[in-house]
Amino acid sequence: MTSLPPLPTTVIGSYSMPAWLERAKNDFLQRKVSRHDLDEMYDSARKAAVKDQEVAGIDIISDGELHRDNMIDYFAERIPGVQVDHGSKRLYDDFYESVVRSKLATGSLGLLDEARFLRRFSQRASKISISGPHALVKRIRNDFYPSEEAFALDLARVMNFEVRELVREGVTHLQIDEPYYSGFPEDLPWAITAVNALVDGISAHVTLHICYGNRYGKPSFEGTYRYLFPRVLDAHVQALSLEFARRGEDDLQLFKEFKVPFTLAMGVVDVKTHDVESAGLIADRVRRALNVIPVEKLMINPDCGLVHLPREVAFNKLSAMAEGARMVREGLK
Amino acid sequence: MIIQRNYSPSALPKGTDVAELTSRIIGPLTLLIERSGIDQDNGQGLRVHLDWIQYKTSFRDPVVVRRAVDQQEQPLPLAEISIDLRQAATPSFNEYLTNAVEVLKGNPPSNGHAPFVLDTFKPWRDSIIWPFNRLFWQQLGDWEAYAKRGFEAALPSGGSDANHPEAVKEGVVEFWDLLHDLEKRGNLPHDIYAMEIGVGSGARARLWLDQFQVYDAEKASGYYPRLKFLLGDYSPSTLDTALAAVGPHAPLCSVIPIDATNPFKVLSFLRFKILYVHLTNVYDNLTFDEIARRDNKLYIVEVRPYVSAAAADRIKAEFGFSTAELPGAIKRLLAYGPESVGEHETGMAFWTRIWEVLRLEERLRAIDEGDESHLPKGVSRSPLDDVLSEVPHDIRFHLSRGAAESFVNTAALLHPRGYLQVQDIFVTSIKEYVHGFRGPGKLDGSFVTWVNGAFLHAVGARAGYHVNFAPFTHRKGSKTQILYTKRRD
Repeated sequence: MTSLPPLPTTVIGSYSMPAWLERAKNDFLQRKVSRHDLDEMYDSARKAAVKDQEVAGIDIISDGELHRDNMIDYFAERIPGVQVDHGSKRLYDDFYESVVRSKLATGSLGLLDEARFLRRFSQRASKISISGPHALVKRIRNDFYPSEEAFALDLARVMNFEVRELVREGVTHLQIDEPYYSGFPEDLPWAITAVNALVDGISAHVTLHICYGNRYGKPSFEGTYRYLFPRVLDAHVQALSLEFARRGEDDLQLFKEFKVPFTLAMGVVDVKTHDVESAGLIADRVRRALNVIPVEKLMINPDCGLVHLPREVAFNKLSAMAEGARMVREGLK
Repeated sequence: MIIQRNYSPSALPKGTDVAELTSRIIGPLTLLIERSGIDQDNGQGLRVHLDWIQYKTSFRDPVVVRRAVDQQEQPLPLAEISIDLRQAATPSFNEYLTNAVEVLKGNPPSNGHAPFVLDTFKPWRDSIIWPFNRLFWQQLGDWEAYAKRGFEAALPSGGSDANHPEAVKEGVVEFWDLLHDLEKRGNLPHDIYAMEIGVGSGARARLWLDQFQVYDAEKASGYYPRLKFLLGDYSPSTLDTALAAVGPHAPLCSVIPIDATNPFKVLSFLRFKILYVHLTNVYDNLTFDEIARRDNKLYIVEVRPYVSAAAADRIKAEFGFSTAELPGAIKRLLAYGPESVGEHETGMAFWTRIWEVLRLEERLRAIDEGDESHLPKGVSRSPLDDVLSEVPHDIRFHLSRGAAESFVNTAALLHPRGYLQVQDIFVTSIKEYVHGFRGPGKLDGSFVTWVNGAFLHAVGARAGYHVNFAPFTHRKGSKTQILYTKRRD
């Protein structure tokens, strides 16, 4: 495993989606572009995303997730037992109409290919992001299970097989994305149970990413992270990824108030504005966090995925983030 | 020759004998063309558009010729004659037809009197109508005093639909319901931001605030004191008037001098915080372009202002400006107001006269593949592609660029549960453009043009919103519709 510096930098997962790739994705839905051609475009775009992250100085990279239409459909199409109406969307980032009508089976979710792609094209530490059971339950219609909780737990069971395979393949960093917790705080008890079922028996660094949504580059909800505590402390994960750049740092106090066993993967880059933060501003945000969180318990990342930002903006934001982290590290010596 | 019928017979006045009307025009026109010596290639590609322009006054003569050029302004074979059927009864109509054919051949008009051209060809967005429009709103009081009527009297209904009490009450209840739902979920922000852009007299804002206060008191919900109501308009003097109009609600209100196409520019500190934004009759007065598709190729419509030779003669007789002096006088008028061309009354007379006789010649300029300069700022080409994919054939439509920019830059301010409502004249399906002329038409010293709702629908989808339209039902015969937004999941 690649050794990481203090305050390691990472991404949430998605990288800037080129306009040409958006058009190709939409054209694919209208049968104007072939699967083969689209896959070739994905291949090029993902390599470019990897390269950009490396050049920007990110310590733990992703493949940019540019082959995923969105965080739901990628999994809905792959989870055996979920029926997807492929004629139900015109724009790639819309959600398919998808439904589960029988008990889910197990099968490949395609994430091993992501892991192999990353290992083939980069020497950096890397991570694979997985949409969490709660997010999937909120978007896939359930016509079989007696409750959302039952559906989520069975999704977790199926996804656990893939996650175990990933770890066997050598993946060291995993992330579970749960952007809907903030809109449905009442679901938290069973949602955390489902996360624990998903990561059951695996030995990797797992981050639970909980944001306020980033559909179309906008938040889906507003509020504070207070609703997470103390229930989230029961999650069997190593890190909690929360957004602070756009929302301000008030919720850092929660890490003082509660005995939090996790590393904080702190969002220090606002992904909902094209304004590029300076490295100095990012360093200041990190330093303020260090007043609350010990250095060995802090990771640095953007608030959320970079998919809605123009490539130049995304790259400059990552570069500033890496430089900001470096500035803070210098001060630690 | 291709004849294109751009109107729906059902939209014409009762008793109109369409067959008789069109045959009375097409017959002589065919004769003129056949005898004109126009070569066969150009004659075959010639399109004759039959329009029915419902506006009492517009920028079009009864018959106009449109030529096409490439990006380097080199002529292309495509040419069009556009005929306003409504003006077919004009006494000199046949003369217009004859002149059009002469112009197509590259000859001067048959009567020898060429129109006097005032400027070069420019896209609509950069055309001379915008300085006229600005002057009108800046000096509205002068115009109204001179015309001896308020500008709202020029509206087809004689007034604005914005201030209908029942419609406002409906909006208030809808907003209260949102606040109540947010409160139940523990997500109601302490400061409740709402905004009206284009406040005009402030009458609607006053009505809305009155009704919200009453409804809030009835429900004992305590939202009214938490309200931060923003009055937005580009004119500081209008904002002063509006602030006075809201009377007792003024302590809750802030006036914001604002460019309706980019509210985000001055309100970025309220990003994702505003719960409700309302606009009435703003989008139809924001910049637009027109796009035409001919044989699967896109063109942007460019216009060039002119006055007819006869009108130029009348202006010389009335105001003393020769044709050589006319462009300078218009420039002064638009830059400094009516007093810059004479005494106030003379200046006002000149302003109204020149606006009355102003016409716009049109041409089609090819848009090359990859050229995106015609797109509104902040909007990719995808929404336009979406709209075009709905109509496979030739079409000409508005690219409501100001409205699209306004939409995108307002949506950026909306709270995750916030919404935008716009009352205006919308073309809600792109197919409607095939069946009717949608402006611009002159309206007092300003103009009105329909807003391409289908384009806004596509822009909204890319920005994360479902955009829907509903007719305004509180006044029979109203042509306005209400645009509603709803967040896409």
